[in-house]
Amino acid sequence: MIILRPELVAALSTGGVPAICTALQQALELEHSTIPPYLYALYSLDKNLNREIAQIIESVAVEEMLHLTLAANVLNALGGNPVLNTPGFIPTYPGPLPGGVESQLTVQLAPFSMSQLETFLTIEEPEHAIDIPTAKLALEAITAPVTIGQFYNRIIAEINKLSDSDFANPPRNQIGPDLMFESVVVTNKATAVQALSTIIEQGEGTSNSPDEVVGLDYAHFYRFQQIQKGKKLIPAPGQKPPWIYGGAPIAIDPAGVYNVPTNPNRKNYGPAQLNLCDTFNYTYTSLLKTLHDMFNGHPDQFNPALGLMMSLKSQAKAMMSGIPDPSVITGPTFEYQPTNP
Amino acid sequence: MSYLNSTRLHFAGQFQANVSTVNNDPGHFDNATFIPSYQEMQGPNFDPPNGWFNPEGDAAFRLLGCRVTSAWLPTGPVTNDPILQFLVADSDTRVCAKLVDLDSEQQLVSEIWGLQVRITDAQGNTLLRGDYDPAAFIDIWDRAIGSSSGGDVDAGAMYQSVLRNLWWGDVSASPFLMALQSAAVDGLLSIKFNVDSLNLDFTSDDFMCGRIVGTIGPASATEPFHMVMGRQFMAIASPPSPKINFFFPSGGINFMVGVVSEADGCIYLDLGNALSTTKGGGLSDLGDLTLGVYDPLASPGNPAGSVVPLGIVPSQGPTGYASDPTWYTRTAGIVVLPLTAAPLQAVSQAPLLLYVESATPPILISEWNTGSFVRADKFVFRLSPGDPSVEIAVYASQWGQPLAGATINFVPDASQLQPSNNISNDVPPVAVPLSALHFNANAVTNAQGVATLSIKASNPGTPRYFNQGQDYGLDGQVYGIRPAFANSQFSGPVNQWNFISFLVWSAFEVSDPATWDDLQPIFQQYANLYPVMNRFLNLGDYDSVKANARLLALAFSLDVGNANSMPVTRDLSPAKRRAILNWLKNPLPGAKCVAKAPEPSAARPAAVAGERPSFGDHMPKGGKAAAAARRLVLTNHH
Repeated sequence: MIILRPELVAALSTGGVPAICTALQQALELEHSTIPPYLYALYSLDKNLNREIAQIIESVAVEEMLHLTLAANVLNALGGNPVLNTPGFIPTYPGPLPGGVESQLTVQLAPFSMSQLETFLTIEEPEHAIDIPTAKLALEAITAPVTIGQFYNRIIAEINKLSDSDFANPPRNQIGPDLMFESVVVTNKATAVQALSTIIEQGEGTSNSPDEVVGLDYAHFYRFQQIQKGKKLIPAPGQKPPWIYGGAPIAIDPAGVYNVPTNPNRKNYGPAQLNLCDTFNYTYTSLLKTLHDMFNGHPDQFNPALGLMMSLKSQAKAMMSGIPDPSVITGPTFEYQPTNP
Repeated sequence: MSYLNSTRLHFAGQFQANVSTVNNDPGHFDNATFIPSYQEMQGPNFDPPNGWFNPEGDAAFRLLGCRVTSAWLPTGPVTNDPILQFLVADSDTRVCAKLVDLDSEQQLVSEIWGLQVRITDAQGNTLLRGDYDPAAFIDIWDRAIGSSSGGDVDAGAMYQSVLRNLWWGDVSASPFLMALQSAAVDGLLSIKFNVDSLNLDFTSDDFMCGRIVGTIGPASATEPFHMVMGRQFMAIASPPSPKINFFFPSGGINFMVGVVSEADGCIYLDLGNALSTTKGGGLSDLGDLTLGVYDPLASPGNPAGSVVPLGIVPSQGPTGYASDPTWYTRTAGIVVLPLTAAPLQAVSQAPLLLYVESATPPILISEWNTGSFVRADKFVFRLSPGDPSVEIAVYASQWGQPLAGATINFVPDASQLQPSNNISNDVPPVAVPLSALHFNANAVTNAQGVATLSIKASNPGTPRYFNQGQDYGLDGQVYGIRPAFANSQFSGPVNQWNFISFLVWSAFEVSDPATWDDLQPIFQQYANLYPVMNRFLNLGDYDSVKANARLLALAFSLDVGNANSMPVTRDLSPAKRRAILNWLKNPLPGAKCVAKAPEPSAARPAAVAGERPSFGDHMPKGGKAAAAARRLVLTNHH
């Protein structure tokens, strides 16, 4: 599991809306930070040769985007203003995830491999001891490292201390299920808890089931584990636990992984690669600006944002597979670049 | 009022035009004969042609590294203004613009759709944002001389349009931008840029990129948006030898425009797309360019001895257009020559010319003898059968002023369209049936110099289907209509590019409810022609289309002006679009749901190498030059 710096939770102990908003902005940055590594691995795969694995990673990446939206909805409902349009919003790769303990996990931009899968599993690994009483958790949180699930549970605990009148109603700057499948419009404590619980459960599952509560798939950790175990997770009625990695085989075809660099660096790129990388980064920065606008009162920016995501997908697939020049393979660096030189 | 104005900025940088090229060959529209190799990169020297030079193109049009190079106010050049450190960029809140041919058989009026232009500070913070009215290039020519690549890399062309929906940031730190904002009283800016040196070598660092140099100034809502109401310098076509891909002016200087401003006491000349370049992109040294006016008493056909010089554009010296490597990017080719009262009076009713003294062969371009000119402002249209008439404004002018009471004829002219098939001899014909177009044969200009071409379409049928009409092919039909003065005294050497292009779509009806079988040919053709779509889905496969129905419904429902509109080629008829959107709500399968790889038809022989129609052994590299080579009439001697 990923371990967050204790300060993150400690800051919450002051309680109240400002502390929760600060924590939710950190949550936004954390949710976003998983997306570049997931997309880098996803687009390093030739989908014709590694379809199953690509589908699994893509399904997780899409839910991370939902989690970003849910965190922003709660933040907006509390009167906060999500910030996505600054250079600091994007972490440096390789490096720890935002709020993560630096020595614990260094996240890289890397083509798909079983070792990169280990990183993904670490990010998504559930914290099983979720029935620890809230009071005790708060006490421990000041001194002990916390998991992502615990972090969200601490936010939920603080939200439960608020009253419904602390939430904007009519809804403020919400991205609802009409735009984002499975999203939650947050207008009170109950919907805020529902939104954040969705994040926890889609990531980690519940203590007694890998099934998503919201959604039709398994929680991220178990979804990724299918690749590691080499078999699909299927129900095993009557057994304990009643699931087994015993379904259709999932095998990695090494020929279907493009030869992209690990932790690409613009300094190592020739002019042709730089041109592709710069346009990708400019598009990526445009997406963050557009999402920022979308989360700050411009839901009509949802479709333009979707278009930018499609453009990034198209560009990444071409760059990483050597289109147009098969001798030029380029990994996108996911850097903040508001100009296209 | 246009960019050719005392308040203006110039910018320069690179553009990307990542057009896809499978659709460059009309033969590739034949679903029945399409084979997978048509989606692959061409071989060396276009052998085999495959999918030509950029089969994976996504139609992206981008501004790259464009910087403001200078700015001008009525008081003169701007100094000490932050505008001089600013950038000209495209959108940062939506996807990039798209560059789109009207049709595979009219590739010489490619339009830019969905472009947003921004002026930003060096960090990319937006000071001004405006939406570019879709516009097509014009006046394409073989600009780079002494060059041997024989393709689009040698070509130059220009785009002129307006920016609307202007959003201004805090521009108080820039007196220039404040002045520009004040001058844009109609909420419009005029933008004109010249493009050249498009790189078609996929192993190059700058593949599908070229040079862009342009100008932004205020625009007026009452003037045309895509042309300047000014003095039109008319080039005359050279004989087609040695080989010319697009156009080369016999006088060495391409079509250009000037504005005589009594108020400003000067004449503005736009040489931006008029001066040839060397192979490296620097401007050719033609010698000092003299602006002169014919003495009204002299014969316009005899410039020697009867021309009054008005000013000189030097080629050499510290600011010579040929000697100063920054001249072109710094000025975008715009020259301002001061005129005192007497010359102003002299030029108001007599032809202007630009020439090089004693040059052999002569270097010269002039207005028509009568100073008259006629052109449609917007000159690319798409029509559906049964739609209300489209009213097209055609502007007539004389000496730069609106010409009222002139009769303009509207004459069908398919000479510049490009029927072709590089796969077989089954060439889809253009401009038939002409009976599908209904328009007035002529019109008289009003006080604003505007004659209205009123045009509507009936169903052209499917004249461009293959195999005697049995196999799905190109939708509808392309046509050209050329406006011309009825009174021949107003006429002069015709600009071959000065005509109006039309794509008239076929009527299309499907069974209710429609099934995949009804729409499969449409989807299959898109899958064939745009391999870039394979990054998202297999458009030729029912299951894949159905699985993506929600996203497809969104993309197909967007206004064609939206940068995200699907298909990017803007060649899907509204009738087919409606049918697709209806079907996507309930994507019923059909008998053709099992996708089959398209296979070559054995029924018809493919053209063998060396026998490709139109090209012969002068095969250009496969870009616009290849399309230009297919025109029905290569030089115009009207």
